[in-house]
Amino acid sequence: MSEKELGQKWDRCLADCAVKFGTGLGLGIVFSVVFFKRRTWPIVFGTGLGLGMAYSNCQNDLRSHYVLQSKVAKEQ
Amino acid sequence: MAAKILPVVKLATKVTIAGGAIYVAYDSGLLGDGKEGSVTLGRAKAAIPPAVEEWVKYFGFELPATPKIEFSPLDAWNSGVQKSIHALSIAPSTVSDYTKQGLQYVKDLTK
Repeated sequence: MSEKELGQKWDRCLADCAVKFGTGLGLGIVFSVVFFKRRTWPIVFGTGLGLGMAYSNCQNDLRSHYVLQSKVAKEQ
Repeated sequence: MAAKILPVVKLATKVTIAGGAIYVAYDSGLLGDGKEGSVTLGRAKAAIPPAVEEWVKYFGFELPATPKIEFSPLDAWNSGVQKSIHALSIAPSTVSDYTKQGLQYVKDLTK
């Protein structure tokens, strides 16, 4: 993997982290207000879920260079 | 009759709101791959200034102009890393130079 490619992957990782953090926070707030009487734990849980998804995406993206990928020919 | 239906209606409304929020997040690519996430972030960055301008016009007051900060965290970080590694690489020779100078100074004092 070239350094440029690695740098782009890390940039995507950080951007994805920010997006997932915000999404998790937002959905956590919605659930907290709607279902759980404005408690804090759904917000923390949602944020944690978002960060976990971002970590998983980042891990897959960084490993994808080394994973053998097969392409199945489409049946004509 | 109405008293029995009301809790059901309340629950249905809550489920609709929560489900709608999840659907909107899924549909706009916020819960997808890393590539989709960065695309969505770019779209959001492009969409915020016009949206802010519209809201300002609607409410009829002027926001103060945002100061342009010419600070790039990336450049600052990169230059920090380069300076630290450079300092580490010249540290042994610098220390030996200073030690020699110190010893010379002490020798000069004892003459």
